[in-house]
Amino acid sequence: MKVLPPTMRENKRYIAFELISEGQVGREDFIREMFSASGSLLGDFGSSECNMRLFAFEGLNGIVSCEREHVAQARAVLATITNVKAKRVAIHVLGVSGTVLGATKKYLEGAVIFSPEE
Amino acid sequence: MDSPGFYELSVHSVPDNINTAGTMVRLAKRLGYACIAITNTSGSCKLETLSIPEGIGVLKGVELSTDNASRLHGLVGKYINIADIIVVRGGNEDINRAAVENPNVDVLLNSGSSKDGGLNHILARSASDNNVSISFDIGELIGHRGGRRVRTLSSFRKDMKLVRKYDVPFMLTANARCIYDMRAPRELMALAGMFGMTYKEALSGLSSNPQITLSRKKHSKNYVFDGVEIVDGPSHMIKEEGDRN
Repeated sequence: MKVLPPTMRENKRYIAFELISEGQVGREDFIREMFSASGSLLGDFGSSECNMRLFAFEGLNGIVSCEREHVAQARAVLATITNVKAKRVAIHVLGVSGTVLGATKKYLEGAVIFSPEE
Repeated sequence: MDSPGFYELSVHSVPDNINTAGTMVRLAKRLGYACIAITNTSGSCKLETLSIPEGIGVLKGVELSTDNASRLHGLVGKYINIADIIVVRGGNEDINRAAVENPNVDVLLNSGSSKDGGLNHILARSASDNNVSISFDIGELIGHRGGRRVRTLSSFRKDMKLVRKYDVPFMLTANARCIYDMRAPRELMALAGMFGMTYKEALSGLSSNPQITLSRKKHSKNYVFDGVEIVDGPSHMIKEEGDRN
């Protein structure tokens, strides 16, 4: 398969986020919940425009990619996620970057997970 | 990124929910709020015993929820000196009306859909005259899906039209009942965009509008009521007047 030339590729943004949750959450479950939330809020049409993908997901941190023009919609979708497999969650967007490396370096490296108890 | 200082003026804690005020405050700080108000329905929260982390302001508020308009005025009178901010949970026509006509009320939350009351041009005008803020409860959009969310979105869209036309002060809130309900300011702004609020409007709804509401509450101690101020007088009298508000 030929790779598209850079000018023809879609422009992406990478959203780094943290999960404030009751416990560990599986990657597959999270993806399912994200697409369900996206389908519910934006519909199939809007979801295709927004084109959200889970890029990386480790522990309680992750990166979601989306279309450059639709970062606000992607944020809104992430905000509407309340449950993942009967575990209550809330997503806190740490920042948006133009590259995966940028998002990881700037927002995820050395990030401390928020714990409700202290 | 310059942070204008975000305000969240409807947060519940123990005894309204399972999370303590301390936890809610720490999460709010983490999410980037500069100031939050704990608005429990009973008005009870012991902020004095709370160790507030640096960099966040915490206000004591109350959320009033009643079906009786005259009782509402009584409750407002009771809490006016105790609470920093008075939020009224609306719903039916009578309560909405009573709330926007009472200048001592700061925020009207959840005015309901157009079917059962809701905001209209009369209420919007009163709210604007009496400086009662209309609060858009974004938590309603987060917590529900399908029909209910659709109705909420369209009623918010309609309210936004009235707010623009009559220049009503407004704010955004997640109305968090537990830590998993709370959202960061930018997420609330993104959701507000879903019902046609512009970036600028959403930003003012989270920062400058609440700020103005709060600064109006903090009168100088010589203040008596709108337009009347003690310019000079014996010191004990000034003190008395200061206690009144």
